Amino acid sequence: MEKEKVNELILKYNQGLATQNEILVIEKLVESNEIDLTQLASLHKLDEKITHQPDVVPSIEMDHRFYEMLGREKRKATSFTFSFPEWDVLLPRLALGCLLILVGFLSGVWIKQPTVGREVTQLTLQVAELKEMMMISLLEKESATERLKAVSLTQEITDPSKKVTAALLKTLNADPNVNVRLAALDALQGYVNRADVRIGLVRSIALQESPLVQLALAELMAVIQEKSSVSELKKVLDKKETPKEVKEKIKKSLDVLI
Amino acid sequence: MKLQTVTLHETLNLETLSDNYLMNKVRDGDPDKLGLLYERYKRPLLGFFIGMLRDKELSEDLVQNTFARILKYRHLYRGDGDFRTWLFHIARNVKNDHFKKKRVDQVPVDIWTERIGHSEIRSEEIQQEEELGMLSIAMERLSEEKREVLLLSKYQEKKYQEIGLLLGCSESAVKVKVFRALQELKAVYQQLEKTY
Repeated sequence: MEKEKVNELILKYNQGLATQNEILVIEKLVESNEIDLTQLASLHKLDEKITHQPDVVPSIEMDHRFYEMLGREKRKATSFTFSFPEWDVLLPRLALGCLLILVGFLSGVWIKQPTVGREVTQLTLQVAELKEMMMISLLEKESATERLKAVSLTQEITDPSKKVTAALLKTLNADPNVNVRLAALDALQGYVNRADVRIGLVRSIALQESPLVQLALAELMAVIQEKSSVSELKKVLDKKETPKEVKEKIKKSLDVLI
Repeated sequence: MKLQTVTLHETLNLETLSDNYLMNKVRDGDPDKLGLLYERYKRPLLGFFIGMLRDKELSEDLVQNTFARILKYRHLYRGDGDFRTWLFHIARNVKNDHFKKKRVDQVPVDIWTERIGHSEIRSEEIQQEEELGMLSIAMERLSEEKREVLLLSKYQEKKYQEIGLLLGCSESAVKVKVFRALQELKAVYQQLEKTY
């Protein structure tokens, strides 16, 4: 149908003057993509009303029941579940395992000679430094996937330097992608015994805008019993824009901390 | 250097912390990750069930059943489609099973009818509340099929192609279904406006 005629029909419909037959034509035009639903003003307005109808807030009991169920499932999973990994996953792991056994064996032989032992230690240190450098440079990448890889690299570093934890804290505070921030927080959980990391995490609370990160931080603070986080958590609690469910979680964490 | 190559290869398997990534983790034996998915989707799911059943307590039970079913059938998750679509596919099955067990007929529209009928002083807030109440009544008067397509349109964020996968029809057919449902909703809504 000609564009002009379609526009005329839309106009007529929006003025509430379309006949039953014309409405059937409009339906056909919607089906053939010649009319977008948003062009039909009264319908679009109703659709918007449905979309913006406020969601009902789930009760705490619902959360409670869910996490209880998850807890039961976790206990079941740790007791006997075994699934054979696929070959493309298994092969690199097997290769790494064999390599590590070989490296361990050779190191054992060399360590008997003091000079070689020193060289091995030096080499290990260099490898660790190299990994740290790679991780920090990957964190600068534009792609979120690359940055996630960088964060996951920290799991390969046994005793990361302050440079690494500082880079992770910076990611947690400033990365534009919420998944990367969550991954950084996940990685930092392994180093909460360090004072600088704990301080960094506390400072990060007020900087977070994503409810998911706020939830995760509030839970972490309760788990590690970080009492200095109370004032920061209260700040988030007092913010108008903080979602209700986050506020509830923060209140729970504060109950544990105070 | 060899060691590093292997390590890097391993990290390449890590994609993102997207819904699919998390659900894959759940499938592969890390049920903890379902917590994050639950936090992301508990509200849309509850909204969908309440929209269909008008009963908060029952809807919360069905949200729980949906996640229990996800855990039960996690080994069937392939991870090649949209997680939200898979989730709503399960939610619809849970809802249909409930309807099979117990036919939900009349729903408590009286609460809204009463509130609308007796309001004398109409502040903007009350008026807005009334409009939402009227919309709820109008939605209730639609057939189950029409109500569902409108709710899916809301919670699937107008992705008609994905809704088509759920309903087993084409994208164009979904648009027509939404058009018809909105047409009827408009008629019921206008009727209600005249009444109150």
